Amino acid sequence: MIARLGTSVVGALRSARDLWLVLLSTLAGVIRRGGAQGELVRQMHAIGNKSVLFVVVTLGFIGMVMAYEACNQLSRITGDYSAVGSQFIRLIVSDFGPTLTGLMLATRVGAGIAAEIGSMKVTEQIDALRMSGVLPIDYLIVPRFIASLIMTLLLSVIGALVMFGAGGLTAEHSFGVNPSIFYDFTYVRPRHMILFMIKALSYGAAIPVVAGFCGLRARGSSEGVGWATTAAVIGSSFAVIVLDFVISAAALFLTGGDL
Amino acid sequence: MTAYVEFKNVEKAFAGKPVLKGMSLAVNKGEVMFIIGTSGVGKSVTIKHLIGLLRIDAGEIWFDGKRVDQLVERQFAPLRKRIGMVFQSSTLFDSMTLAENVALPLRKHGKLGHAEALEQARVRLAQVYMAEHADRYPAELSDGMRKRAAIARTLALEPEVVLFDEPTTGLDPVSARRIDRLIRELADTLGVTAIVVSHDPSSIFGIADRVAFLYRGVVHVTATPADLRASPDPLVQQFITGTSSGPMETPGF
Repeated sequence: MIARLGTSVVGALRSARDLWLVLLSTLAGVIRRGGAQGELVRQMHAIGNKSVLFVVVTLGFIGMVMAYEACNQLSRITGDYSAVGSQFIRLIVSDFGPTLTGLMLATRVGAGIAAEIGSMKVTEQIDALRMSGVLPIDYLIVPRFIASLIMTLLLSVIGALVMFGAGGLTAEHSFGVNPSIFYDFTYVRPRHMILFMIKALSYGAAIPVVAGFCGLRARGSSEGVGWATTAAVIGSSFAVIVLDFVISAAALFLTGGDL
Repeated sequence: MTAYVEFKNVEKAFAGKPVLKGMSLAVNKGEVMFIIGTSGVGKSVTIKHLIGLLRIDAGEIWFDGKRVDQLVERQFAPLRKRIGMVFQSSTLFDSMTLAENVALPLRKHGKLGHAEALEQARVRLAQVYMAEHADRYPAELSDGMRKRAAIARTLALEPEVVLFDEPTTGLDPVSARRIDRLIRELADTLGVTAIVVSHDPSSIFGIADRVAFLYRGVVHVTATPADLRASPDPLVQQFITGTSSGPMETPGF
């Protein structure tokens, strides 16, 4: 029992070390400008353009539900909707916009990256890359990393705007909230915008690194690719949530709780 | 004669399960050496150690008078220019055309420009009768065609040693014999050393200079094809005749 526990702990520590090494190798690859320009554009299309509809639809619906629930609760207590929009956008900018976008991308993009790299691993294409003089991380993860950084930030902006817009429409049609009152950015401060950017960029960095790491660990055949894909979705979603907690906690600490 | 490639008492285990248990093998320059044995006995594992795709647990590996098993990943780059490998599956990159696939090692190892590498890649593809398919993607081609393109990619750097991992598996007999002929020609005309992992009796007895029979993690016997065929060893006889019953009770181990 103790031996088995020890083996699991050692395995987990090794995985953490390997993940850290993948991150460092990726950053080194970015610095030495690894990866091809064409591949970067292809990855930006795959990660960004192909995720737009998914992000818009999911964040739009979440925005509608959240605005409805907020107005519904207010109607039972005070009936005063004057601050609902301004507080809603503050929450979206400081947290929900980038985090929900990150979670959506962790499933769609994380699974795609792990499946693609995992398939290459089990079919020995990664070994063939090494034989061709190519560093697999430079070729496979660096372009996805850069593309993900850029596109996660852009998609977070789009997702946040759609969420706010959909929430405003719901508030207007269901509770008669005047759009000029709802669409109020008074409470959004530069610190919220900075937090938005830090979160979006952090998620954009974490998703391809975690998913790429899982893909590179695929073993065997299709079962190994399936395992890698599942691990990538769980791992990158978990990374988004942990990063959200850590960054939010750090922001609260730095602002003395006045976020 | 000093061996060009030498494995000395190599040991390798996966998840605690030993595969190679003190395996030793010497391959001479310009020789076509076949490594045979049942599935899972460690034939592919053996050749991958030579180019650092896998790391040995114990033992030594020597190439051209230098020990190579202790090199770090970066130090393997010049070695991988001198030793090429044709993998079991074609391992062509799906997002690239055949010409781009073949050009990749020329650009990375050979430091050629994009246009020059593509031009040379077309020449290499023509040598394996694939010139007309240079701009097609791997998914559009048959297994045999992909295999030929993969061989062109490996040979593009003009390696001194080529490792073939089951090069004829999954091919029709005509394509398989063409691959055999290509391997033999590489050795006879260019002096390339070929180490071939294979189960194919036609290849083994058709083109091999010597054959190493791997069993229970060690080289059980090394012999010429003729000596192997004449061997009274019941293990060897069971393997080459493909008999299901015999001393080789548990395949591989």
